[in-house]
Amino acid sequence: MARTLMRFTGVGGQGVLLAGEIFAAAKIKTGGYGLKTATYTSQVRGGPTVVDITLDDEEIFYPYANDGEVNFMLSVADVSYRLFKNGVQPGGTIVIEPNLVHPTEEDKKKWNIYEIPIITIAKEEVGNVITQSVVALAIANTFTKALDKKVLVDTMLSKVPEKVHAVNLKAYELGEKYALEAIAQGPAQ
Amino acid sequence: MSTREIISTGNDLAARAAVDAGCKFFSGYPITPSSEVMHTISDLLPRIGGTAIQMEDEIAGVAAAIGASMSGVRSLTATSGPGISLKAENLGLAQMTEVPLVVINVMRGGPSTGLPTRVSQGDVAQAKNPSHGDYKSITLCAGNLAECYTETVRAFNLADRFMQPVFVLLDETLGHMHGKADIPTAEAVKSGIKLRKTFDGPAEEYHPYGVAQDEPAVLNPMFKGYRYHFTGLHHDKNGFPTEEIETCRLLIERLFNKVEAHQEEIDSYEEFMMDDAEVMIVAYGSVSLSAKEAIRHLRAEGIKAGLFRPITLWPSPAEAIKKYTDKIGKVLCVELNIGQYRDEVQRASGRLDIEGLFKVNGRPISPFEIVNKVKEL
Repeated sequence: MARTLMRFTGVGGQGVLLAGEIFAAAKIKTGGYGLKTATYTSQVRGGPTVVDITLDDEEIFYPYANDGEVNFMLSVADVSYRLFKNGVQPGGTIVIEPNLVHPTEEDKKKWNIYEIPIITIAKEEVGNVITQSVVALAIANTFTKALDKKVLVDTMLSKVPEKVHAVNLKAYELGEKYALEAIAQGPAQ
Repeated sequence: MSTREIISTGNDLAARAAVDAGCKFFSGYPITPSSEVMHTISDLLPRIGGTAIQMEDEIAGVAAAIGASMSGVRSLTATSGPGISLKAENLGLAQMTEVPLVVINVMRGGPSTGLPTRVSQGDVAQAKNPSHGDYKSITLCAGNLAECYTETVRAFNLADRFMQPVFVLLDETLGHMHGKADIPTAEAVKSGIKLRKTFDGPAEEYHPYGVAQDEPAVLNPMFKGYRYHFTGLHHDKNGFPTEEIETCRLLIERLFNKVEAHQEEIDSYEEFMMDDAEVMIVAYGSVSLSAKEAIRHLRAEGIKAGLFRPITLWPSPAEAIKKYTDKIGKVLCVELNIGQYRDEVQRASGRLDIEGLFKVNGRPISPFEIVNKVKEL
């Protein structure tokens, strides 16, 4: 496998960190290397946050994504979308929460932008907004096919309390379903 | 040595290392980006009969740890640059009284409160001389996740060997990055613990500071029947203040010499692709990760670059640096400060043509910035 670089962006407090940790841990479980770094501001809640996830079969030294090398980005806040979108390689994939992120027409030409209402899915269909990080996890893996689903889901379950296993599984399945639908439909024009 | 694989952050690994190395006391004051050290250790220590206290401020954080160490237990405090500035006076006290202590500094942008959440290596010069007066700092610098663990363990053993504070420098990137670390098992660490020397002869023959000129004080734990005195003033063999000419000279010279005479016990560095290197990159901490990635790219293009990575920053591995700078023309220091260690490479090499790639805006240095700089040399 070549190196996979994923970037999750949001604002502080949304919980995008956990998905990154799960990806890294799952990749390591399969015998590879995974690193997660987070960059945030001293404005703890509401400040732009970016999580870079590097997955590789070879040892990874530098833990951040170089600008222009990110394969896949997921964004749930406009401020961070605008700040970090240029990390994505031209022709790369960006999934946005369309209620919160507003790409320009130019952006839509440069990248394959897919609209999935991640927070609405978590809040209304799963029934718990906190599960948005697992919805995001499922979407990211469905798009990138970075990891075997079972390994990723098992790793995710090992990191959340048992009493919320069911709701997180539901979040994963819904994320995957919406991602597959979005892929079938094609990027926003 | 048997190892185990842990998936975690540098800060968490450093805290676990302290506990495995026999640390029983932590006191500190939370500060970004080091707070997770305190978070983890305050969970672990009470389970094994240890103590972790959140003090009222940074100064009390180091003061309590010094006090605990005086009573004989391995002690730790953790902070970031602004905290070291506040702790400086008490760090000088620990140097003067020869109280062993491990101080983890997870570096962030400075000076002052600087850039709380962003990476920096601005405290390298500070670690050499945080307090006034003459003494010889021992400063270790982790360069990857595993070393956040192993260097913390080494710091505890060095603190007890040389009876003084030992710094472990991490930086925001290492402290917060999350990934795999292959580290020694807790049993292996435990079997390698070397506690401070103690004196078990008759109390009237005990002179804690009356030691050879290349050796540290022998401080028995308090409350064991041996009386002596701690003071920040120049002191005699029993720790009582004195201004006697020879005693004063010998004391401060010994603080220097106890480290200098045994540098081979402290030295540590990594040579990465240095065998045939025609360009020498000097980098440490998280920047060395970027340098290694850059060297992969440079080698792929036929440029023979190598990395010299000091792990013990102070005292610096000056002889090893000079060995390379004597034969390699192009030398580049890459740092998240404005050449704090380049000064040392200049000193060690006796050369003023050491190049620098420096960044001080809280952002990491990417491998491609290093690649481009090397091509310009």
